[in-house]
Amino acid sequence: MIFASKSFLVFLAVVLVLYHGLGRRDHRYRVLLLASWLFYAVVPPHYWPVIFALTLIDYVAGLRIDRAQDERGRRRWLGASIAANLGLLIGFKYTPFAYENAVTLAGLLGVPLSPATLSIVLPLGISYHTFQGISYTVDVYRRQIPAVTSFTDYALFVSFFPQLAAGPIVRAVDFLPQMAAPPTVTRAQIADGIVLFAGGLVKKLLIADPLDQLVVGPVFADPFAFTDAAHRWAVVGWAVQIYCDFSGYTDMARGVSKWFGFELPENFRLPYLATSIADFWRRWHLSLSAWLRDYVYFPMGGSRGGELRTAFNLLTLFVLCGLWHGAAWNWLAYGLFNGVLMVLHRGYDRAVTGRPAWDALRGTVGWALVAWAATALQFLVGLIMIRTSDWSGGVRLTQSLLGQSFEPTAVALTTPVPPPVAVLIACGLAGHAVELVRRAGVPVPAAWPEPVRVVAAAAAFATVIVFAPGVSKTFLYVQF
Amino acid sequence: MTPTPAAPTTPARNWRKLRPVLWLVLAFGLLDCAARWTAPVWERHSPDDYAARVEGCRREPRDFILVGGSPVSEGFDPDAMTGLAWQGVPLANGYAVGLPGGTLTDIAVAVRHAAPTPPRLVIYGASATDVNDARNEPHGPYSLYDAADVAQVCRTRADVRVWTVRRYAEGRFRRVSAIYRHRHGLKMAAADALEAQSPGACPQAAKEAIGLRDYADALRVGRGYAPAAWFADARYDLRKAAAAPFAPFDFLDKYRTGSHWRYFAALREWCAGRGVALVVVEMPVTADLEAKYPGPTAEFRALLDMLPADGIPVLRARREALNLTDADYADTIHLNRAGAAKLSAWTRDAVNALPHAGGGAR
Repeated sequence: MIFASKSFLVFLAVVLVLYHGLGRRDHRYRVLLLASWLFYAVVPPHYWPVIFALTLIDYVAGLRIDRAQDERGRRRWLGASIAANLGLLIGFKYTPFAYENAVTLAGLLGVPLSPATLSIVLPLGISYHTFQGISYTVDVYRRQIPAVTSFTDYALFVSFFPQLAAGPIVRAVDFLPQMAAPPTVTRAQIADGIVLFAGGLVKKLLIADPLDQLVVGPVFADPFAFTDAAHRWAVVGWAVQIYCDFSGYTDMARGVSKWFGFELPENFRLPYLATSIADFWRRWHLSLSAWLRDYVYFPMGGSRGGELRTAFNLLTLFVLCGLWHGAAWNWLAYGLFNGVLMVLHRGYDRAVTGRPAWDALRGTVGWALVAWAATALQFLVGLIMIRTSDWSGGVRLTQSLLGQSFEPTAVALTTPVPPPVAVLIACGLAGHAVELVRRAGVPVPAAWPEPVRVVAAAAAFATVIVFAPGVSKTFLYVQF
Repeated sequence: MTPTPAAPTTPARNWRKLRPVLWLVLAFGLLDCAARWTAPVWERHSPDDYAARVEGCRREPRDFILVGGSPVSEGFDPDAMTGLAWQGVPLANGYAVGLPGGTLTDIAVAVRHAAPTPPRLVIYGASATDVNDARNEPHGPYSLYDAADVAQVCRTRADVRVWTVRRYAEGRFRRVSAIYRHRHGLKMAAADALEAQSPGACPQAAKEAIGLRDYADALRVGRGYAPAAWFADARYDLRKAAAAPFAPFDFLDKYRTGSHWRYFAALREWCAGRGVALVVVEMPVTADLEAKYPGPTAEFRALLDMLPADGIPVLRARREALNLTDADYADTIHLNRAGAAKLSAWTRDAVNALPHAGGGAR
């Protein structure tokens, strides 16, 4: 069940009525948990036991860690939880990839291996679920939170349906305190939820999906059939598509959560205004970046172990980040690419920071523009890696992005790009533009009055009804 | 964590909290009202052809009505039937209520709604596809049926009781919001306006919008013969020779009859109760379709063979009788403009040649 579907709206309405119609805390949470499991079990139902088993393991592990008398016992239960989570994640997500590469490698070595491909369907949201489970047991181990004694409470924390399929990755330390008593929904939350949900729908159905249909899908499917201008439009269109798709999902998840009284963390902070690759990762998929930082990077030593060690840690962090998204060589390359960029940026930053001339230069608007353009180029190249279906096509798109010209081998698109593409891209980046206007000193209100925002949401809903394609595409990040 | 009761809230405070929802409903309601008030504009850009044909027919009393599925909408031109007469009275004012995809159930319902003033003659252009119980057309319950029609279907055709009620309910639900109901028309009108304002912005959508607008206009002011350019000008023989792709045709698959056919009795009773003559025309199809579906063709013809015994004239508009070739068809079942002219003229002459009281099959 995806957010941008009629069945979800019916489901949501029923759950909201039931939830708010019940007075007792435990009744409310049981309804919400059952609804979350139902949401999960609709398609495909046979993976619900996987999520249930993981939930049970982490719940028990949390209690055991909390009650263990010695450090060894605490470590053992933490290890069991991490092994169970990572074991399932690796088993489901990386086994086919590993086997496929083992077959190739064995073939190169002259050892015949059955090329039968393993077909394992990834359980919905397992990457998010396992990370939340690990964060919980680690936080209990670190004594940052007490173990949850109620199974319903814990299960609801890891299965809360608005963020179950594609995050944001919620930390126990942020979410569990909200569950102490059923949160009272405020009027501001209702209004904000409406605005976020409407905005998310617009981003997904009116910007991301049409961009994919009009330019991104066709060009990435066969780059050689298009001109270099079409390549550039497609790459920028892809950047806007993935941003609107994922941030649209997050907005809807946050909006729906507010109607139950829960607050989910922000996942994006205008990422395409970043002026360095490090800045970009502080703005993009924040909940994943923060999780990797707190549970991988810092435990590895972070930046405390000298330059070489830090570089190694950064590379490891970003390779893991790439592989978290998907078990494929292009995701591995994407992670490595970002890791290398981060290492290079760190080296450059440390080399010039503190030098008066450099600091003065870096404070100028001109330098900000250069830095922004360089950063944009870096993340666009990275985005090509994760969308391209073959390396030669990816290279051609990158060459076009860098300014080379090509004639198409076959004319698939008679005009370089359909005119609405530019409008869609502009709409997708409207939030970024408003921020730039604000930075230029134009007084833009931080929040419009409630009636104005809700009326705009009503107009957005009407626009979605009229202009959205009949069938929504699956959210991109649900596949991770 | 120990269970604690939810924070106490008063009803008044709860209602005040819901004010954003009220704003939302109010704003959407206003937008919806605006869409409802301007519905003719959106309907013109995306006509509901069942409703438009029924409305077009109802606009004035008709001397004769041609009814049937898409073979009738593409195959009969009332304007080409000038000279048609019944019992010595010329029938000048006719209308073709052809329902693309419609079944005999839909056709019988459409006749009831399309003719508040009974015509003198109803000509039913019957096709084997109309009575295939393996298919039902959702657009009928969505667009044509009222509660009485649904009740009648439930009484008459128990096999589709649930299906019909569900489709009817869906159709009513869609009408709750004018924005939702007219969403395609709104989209087409926007595409048309955008293309006019900025040529090249959305040429394909604008082309579709213009085609639909022309179709709506033709249905509104004409007599029900409003073939799409694709049907009117296409030639099946040329398309076959060019090995052009055809849309899959599954309307005769899993052929079985009986349930829809009960609505022939309803049509006959409606006519008899109002003193309206009923003539059935077996619609001509290509040899290719007959060869592909010999069983359904034979079963359908056997049904028509029973009608003359009940006093219903059946005109066999076979290809040979009309001198129709593949050049007169747009595809395997629909006539093109030339074919429609031949069929219309032949039907006129054949009806005129019938004894006034009816009874003989040609």
